[in-house]
Amino acid sequence: MTATRAMLAVDERELRQARPKSARTRRRVGKIAWLVGILALTAVVLYPLIWMFAASFKPHSEFGSNMGLLPENPTIDNYITVLGGVAGVPLWQFFANSLILAVGSVIGIVLSSSMAAYAFARLDFRGRPVFFTIMIGTLLLPFHVLIIPQYMLFRNLGLVDTFVPLLLGKFLATEAFFVFLMVQFIRNLPRELDEAARIDGAGHPRIFFSITLPLIKPALITSSIFAFIWSWNDFLGPLLYLNSPDKQPVPLALRIFNDQTSTSDLGATIAVSVLALLPVLAFFIIFQRFLVEGVATQGLKG
Amino acid sequence: MFHSRIKRFGLAAAAIAAVSALALTGCSGTSGDSGGGSYDPDEKVTLTFTWWGNDDRADRYGQLIEKFNEEYPNITIEGSFTDFPSYWEKRQTEAAGGGLPDVWQFSDTYLRQYGQPGMLLDLAQVSDYVDTSTFEDALLGTGQLDGTQFSLPTGYSAWSVFQNDDLLGEVGVAPYEGGTSPEEYDDWMKSVTDASGGTVYGGTDVTQRIQNFELLLRQEGGNLFTEDGELGFDEDQLRDFWESGAAVRDGVGVPQSKLEEITPTSGLGAKLTASEMTWSNFLGGYLAETGDATLSMVAPPTTDDSAKDLYRQAGLQMAISKTSKHPEAAAIFLDYVVNSPEAGEIFGTTLGFPASSSKLEGAVLEGADKQVADYLDSVADRIGDAPPVPVVGYGSIEQTFWDLGKSLGLGAISVDDAVTQFFDEADVILAG
Repeated sequence: MTATRAMLAVDERELRQARPKSARTRRRVGKIAWLVGILALTAVVLYPLIWMFAASFKPHSEFGSNMGLLPENPTIDNYITVLGGVAGVPLWQFFANSLILAVGSVIGIVLSSSMAAYAFARLDFRGRPVFFTIMIGTLLLPFHVLIIPQYMLFRNLGLVDTFVPLLLGKFLATEAFFVFLMVQFIRNLPRELDEAARIDGAGHPRIFFSITLPLIKPALITSSIFAFIWSWNDFLGPLLYLNSPDKQPVPLALRIFNDQTSTSDLGATIAVSVLALLPVLAFFIIFQRFLVEGVATQGLKG
Repeated sequence: MFHSRIKRFGLAAAAIAAVSALALTGCSGTSGDSGGGSYDPDEKVTLTFTWWGNDDRADRYGQLIEKFNEEYPNITIEGSFTDFPSYWEKRQTEAAGGGLPDVWQFSDTYLRQYGQPGMLLDLAQVSDYVDTSTFEDALLGTGQLDGTQFSLPTGYSAWSVFQNDDLLGEVGVAPYEGGTSPEEYDDWMKSVTDASGGTVYGGTDVTQRIQNFELLLRQEGGNLFTEDGELGFDEDQLRDFWESGAAVRDGVGVPQSKLEEITPTSGLGAKLTASEMTWSNFLGGYLAETGDATLSMVAPPTTDDSAKDLYRQAGLQMAISKTSKHPEAAAIFLDYVVNSPEAGEIFGTTLGFPASSSKLEGAVLEGADKQVADYLDSVADRIGDAPPVPVVGYGSIEQTFWDLGKSLGLGAISVDDAVTQFFDEADVILAG
């Protein structure tokens, strides 16, 4: 984006110098060709998405015969089907569940990971390097190794079929990726700010909430976006821990429409997919502004 | 410094080990005791019940549970469902971590995997509550492992040739009569492809599917697997089979590249081919895909008219976990699902053609269901004993076979290489 702006600026300056007409038209033709090229490239990249949107209006019987972009007999039946819900559970319920899980993860991760990161970056406690190494080590541990012991743990605590197994870890800073991200961020903040606060009589809680937290906003935003999207798209966790249909999130509901052993309703699957995309898209559009801002301020830091 | 770091690490490691040991011992306390008790109708019981399937199946189970509760108000059924692959992923975790549901929809391909280590309840222990007299012996056999009845089939289907009569009418070729020699079926496919000028194909290369190979083996008196779970054929037999499809792959059947384009729809579903061989219970699905074309079913080709090469595939079963705390109540519910006329009325043939005679009585057979019933009647003479219980990993073997068949169709692999690759992979799967 900055590149485009820079190019436009150069362009304006050149125009002001009143160049010969032919050169100007040549430039304009070049610019149009460039734009057309870029648009064509974007269309290629976005084609699957556009296809999905268009295909959600195809009747079920058209899926085998019409591979093209546009439906021959457009219909909104697919949306009517999916809005009716699955097996007595209304569609909004799946979205509500997904939203609770996603928002819960964001809150949990922002709170707990930032505190853990502050401790690792600023406090000097016994065994810090070892614990830090262990934490990074959990990143290397494949998730699949943990599934069964974790499942046994939560089952014995009687927490299967609740949201707790899916959220508890997020509130206990077990997501090493986010802790690491924030530790690196805090380490780059000037220590002088903390020291100044300490001279004014602030303890660790005060320094954390009043100095560190506002300064690591870009890292918090990045973490929130990732946490939201990961939780929204998580399939295996909810599959294992949630049994009742009315507690399940969108990715599980999506599969129900597309069961290979009985009849797959492809139209409905695609319609739900389109709907499932919208919240993530909305979340990203709202927060990406902060993301860009964050990256910009990060660059200014001395 | 370095030394003290190691010491601290040792402490931390010891702490972690202690915590995980606590967590692990906490779980060994669960062990279900089952059998021997009797059902108390006044006791309030909650059972977990799970199945795979779509939205439509969920609605039907919902209706069935409602009916069941009219008769047994004190048994509460907590139903849950997912799609087929996720279903087995979840069961795998539960099998290792505890917490298998009381009653669950089951598949014969998993009978060895869950039956051998003793995770399923021997239904003989609850025989007071489950009626098995409504099943023919051959169908009971589909839920038995070494003589123990672990599960009961909800329904069955048989291998068949589907054809699209509307398409055949358009190209002006008479429908395939069924039950001819494989060469005559190939000739018929060629006549369709030729008559349409290449817009519609006669069918798909039948050597892609392991079921067609199984049929051939059964015509010769063999089976895919032996009772001991070994492969029931050798490399030469497989090579001959795949080579027999060469003529069809060369311009008679639908090109594999066209089939790849329309995945997950099949050639018949996409109206690219006029015929296809598959299980009889797929009729409803094909009708939906083709937008209600007129489909008919006939017997698959055979090399021997008198052979009992077809069999009733009862893939969909019902089982009870050994860890169930209420095996009697679970048995009552299982019996209701597989045997009750109400289940027949609600499910029709959507869980396969009813295997139990009492369930069949309740089923109203009309339209597509009637067509399946008529087909099964028409091939009754060719139906033989069920093959041995599928080996652990049969699903992977079936898929490997299909994938190699597709590669042959794409010309990406030679028959010799495909045979070698199949046996290599089968060895790995069977050894595991």
